[in-house]
Amino acid sequence: MMKNYFIHTLLASAVFLLSSCEKVVKLDLGDESGKLVIEAGINNISGQQIVKLSNNVPFTDTNNYPAVSGAQISVSDAHGHTYNLIENTAGTYTINNVSGVPGESYSLKVLLNGKTYTAVSIMPNVVTLDSISYVKSEFDKDRQKISVHYKDPAGIANQYRFVMFVNDVQVKDVIVANDDFTDGNVVKMDIRQRDIDVHLGDKISIEMQCIDKPIYTYWSTLRSQSSNGPGGGVTPSNPPTNISPVTLGFFSAYSTSSKTITLK
Amino acid sequence: MKMLKYFLIPLFSILTVLVADAQKKYTLSGTIKDGSTGETLIGASVKIQELPAAGTSSNNYGFYSLTIPEGTYQITWSYIGYESTSQKVQLLKNQALSISLKSKSDLDEVVITTNRKNNNNVVSAQMGLEKLNMGQINQVPVVLGERDVLKTITLMPGVKTSGEGNTGFYVRGGGSDQNLILLDEATVYNASHLLGFFSTFNSDAIKDVSIYKGGMPAEYGGRLSSVLDIKMNDGNNQDFTVQGGVGMVASRLKLEGPLVKDKGSFMISARRTYVDLFLKASKDSTLNKSTLFFYDINAKANYHFNDKNAIYLSGYFGKDVLGLKNIFGTNWGNSTGTIRFNHVFSNKLFSNTSLIYSNYNYVVESLQSNDGFKATSKITDLNLKQDFQYYTGSNHALKFGINILKHDIAPGDISTTGAASSFNDKHVEHRYGYESAAYISDEWKVGNRLTLLYGLRLSSMYLIGPGTFSSYDNAGNITSSKTYGSGSVVKSYLNLEPRFSASYILNDESSVKASYNRNTQNIHLLSNSTSSSPTDLYVMSSNNIKPEIADQVAAGYFRNFNDNTFEFSAEVYYKALQNQIDYKDGAQLVVNQDVEALLNYGNGRAYGMELFFKKKYGKFNGWLGYTLSKTERKFADINNGAYYPARQDRTHDLSLVGIYQLNKRWSFSSNFIYGTGNAVTYPTGKYNVGGITVYSYSERNGYRQPASNRLDLGATLEGRERKRFHSSWTFSIYNVYASRDPYSITFRDSEKIPNTTEAVQTSIFAAPIPSVTWNFKF
Repeated sequence: MMKNYFIHTLLASAVFLLSSCEKVVKLDLGDESGKLVIEAGINNISGQQIVKLSNNVPFTDTNNYPAVSGAQISVSDAHGHTYNLIENTAGTYTINNVSGVPGESYSLKVLLNGKTYTAVSIMPNVVTLDSISYVKSEFDKDRQKISVHYKDPAGIANQYRFVMFVNDVQVKDVIVANDDFTDGNVVKMDIRQRDIDVHLGDKISIEMQCIDKPIYTYWSTLRSQSSNGPGGGVTPSNPPTNISPVTLGFFSAYSTSSKTITLK
Repeated sequence: MKMLKYFLIPLFSILTVLVADAQKKYTLSGTIKDGSTGETLIGASVKIQELPAAGTSSNNYGFYSLTIPEGTYQITWSYIGYESTSQKVQLLKNQALSISLKSKSDLDEVVITTNRKNNNNVVSAQMGLEKLNMGQINQVPVVLGERDVLKTITLMPGVKTSGEGNTGFYVRGGGSDQNLILLDEATVYNASHLLGFFSTFNSDAIKDVSIYKGGMPAEYGGRLSSVLDIKMNDGNNQDFTVQGGVGMVASRLKLEGPLVKDKGSFMISARRTYVDLFLKASKDSTLNKSTLFFYDINAKANYHFNDKNAIYLSGYFGKDVLGLKNIFGTNWGNSTGTIRFNHVFSNKLFSNTSLIYSNYNYVVESLQSNDGFKATSKITDLNLKQDFQYYTGSNHALKFGINILKHDIAPGDISTTGAASSFNDKHVEHRYGYESAAYISDEWKVGNRLTLLYGLRLSSMYLIGPGTFSSYDNAGNITSSKTYGSGSVVKSYLNLEPRFSASYILNDESSVKASYNRNTQNIHLLSNSTSSSPTDLYVMSSNNIKPEIADQVAAGYFRNFNDNTFEFSAEVYYKALQNQIDYKDGAQLVVNQDVEALLNYGNGRAYGMELFFKKKYGKFNGWLGYTLSKTERKFADINNGAYYPARQDRTHDLSLVGIYQLNKRWSFSSNFIYGTGNAVTYPTGKYNVGGITVYSYSERNGYRQPASNRLDLGATLEGRERKRFHSSWTFSIYNVYASRDPYSITFRDSEKIPNTTEAVQTSIFAAPIPSVTWNFKF
């Protein structure tokens, strides 16, 4: 929550004062690689619905993740329609000209090497991202602080994930929000990320995904474990997945809207 | 109720002994004080040459009482740091004899005289108790030159620091909320300033510090792992004095003096930091408009109506303020107040009645005018305690009493500012409860060698309305809700806590001891972050949360050398913990009405060995403490239900402290610590989802952070002896050889080598930090 972010920012500033330091270290980490990762997302825009299968790799490897081929993947809705996905490039399974309907529940089925994985996700109704605004950052006059604006529907629980691109490069921080404290309001939310500095002249694209509760828990668990807080935040563990039996990854049915601006 | 039977039997035996006692006995009682200031001395020892087994020690108010057969005795009163007094006393009737002892620092010689040194650590049946000498606390070097009670107790074996930048400490594998911290009997909820860099205790205002790691006497209860009992100075009742110090980061001032000479006195002590003055010098525009300070005030007054009646008033008020420019502000603080009344009935029965108020609150606010919010949370306690100490004089000393404590917790309130705020006002219901207890204990000297200290504490928790209380299933969904009216009982718990310890004296210089005690805890700190913060939340036991229970057994061997100049002890302990709390994934604990839906429950165990070697007398003194220990937890959903190391499981913990008095003006001190790192969870793989590198984990806390080690040095230069004015300089260097103890280790995509990941270690203190403080007294 904002409050924890603030306290950690201030501690970081206090840490500046004292003679703190950071250094890269080599650790002797175990190797539990070769595990299946399912990244499945379907949304309400006609076009490609994508499921990616891969394996995790040891920490010391490069960030190239081996694709997992030969699985049979299908998505069904609550009305008995089943859509089979086709593997075009290795590890990537897609289906064209189909989109999900907000409000509907979807099931994923992955059959791989004789083992079946299933998951269920409910696509929330669309909440549109109204606009993106920017002001000079309070911390550094060269940087810009980006804010998103949307109207949260009253009386229902809403969860959001924001995917942000600066000049077409994705910001690698996890940005999520829910309406515990903002239900029913016109919300202005500052995007506080430290991955990519934003300057005048940059092109900013933000996709706002409306996600269901289990997927929100997945992403917010990841965010609370991240290195944004001194002490490393919460003790890390694999975030709770909605896939059964448990694998890495998730199945997210989400509704989406996007906006792009160029800072002048 | 079988346990109850086993305690009633020895209790009946005490009563029969009292009745059957035929020989004529008289009571010698009084108060033991410091001769020059009038401060009462706690735990001063009274020994009778002719009856070596009949000695006693002064209680928390300096009161002692001895009931012995009619006769003439050579009696010696002594206390560490003071010159002992010996007198021939002819006891032909009840006699009041108060004693003033002369402090050694008032004497001209620095070297010890031929007093008989104290062997209380060997003969006392009390196990697991460490008493700190204020003189040593003031000499142990600490960061930024601020003397610190909490930092010094972490130099004792069995007590582990929670690391730089963190509040709290761990005792024998317990959590940081399992320590009962008392300042003149009032509970202090947040014992640190500035996120752990300073403690809330100004050592100028403190007289006595005791920590019980095990064998907690029956008069204490409410937390599982330890009791840190801190007593403030009463105030000099002879002379008006002003004392203080100016340091690099903080300054302090103490005024004390008599209200009525010999009868009443007051003390007021205050401290403030000015770290933010350094911030203003920064070129960074964020830092130079920020505030970062704390202040605290300790105040006390007392009045002795006569030998039998005295009243004490104590108060503490402290606050931390952090402000980031005009963007965010936060402040938090404790305030406590106590009124205590002592009454002596019949020289054998001492009574203390206390009324105690304690409050901890915090505020976080966003100061942006059109989109602001203010979040507050607080806990307020009101406590009535009645304690009796009955010195029967037939080898039994009884203590009994009751304690009624009311909690009022406001878990969270949000109010918004600005008409178009993104936020909504939110109010989480207050929670009320009564935590009460009754206890009785006896210290029984059986013959010349065996002393038994046994007792029973009955503790209760009543969670009361008004409010709406819900029950939850394993997934965190509400299964039922019920609304209660004001004062009606929502849930109650009753627990019997037996306390037992025994010491068997092998000879004048050595003994063996054993103890068993059960402790329960009804107030729990919820914090799912690995680093604690002042915004952590307190909840009481409820219809969802059961009381935490700890059973601890300990045994030890105690041996003094060279006529009690050196003390050595070896203690082993085993502690079993029940109803420990952990959190569901993604638990959002802040301002959440249904926070109890997010909790998981499990067990824990901790065991270890503590070795302690101490030299208390002479030009050179200090100690060496070493702990070898393990502490584990077991939760159904973690690690497949197998035991895993708790974060604070640090196998080795070594502290070496040395203080050398070179001459009347110079003294030097040093401390060296070494400890195994925290148990942490590191990734064993990585993958990519949503365009982001994510790490995968296998076992919880299966790795260790690198071991921490550090050397600090300090020196004190006393000013020249003058009539009224005295000054001294304290120098210290913290982290002399620039050891980089890891504060955290995090994992991220590498910037230097694209498409790879790296581990990054952050240390807070990577260079030596010198400090200078100027102290004065007149």
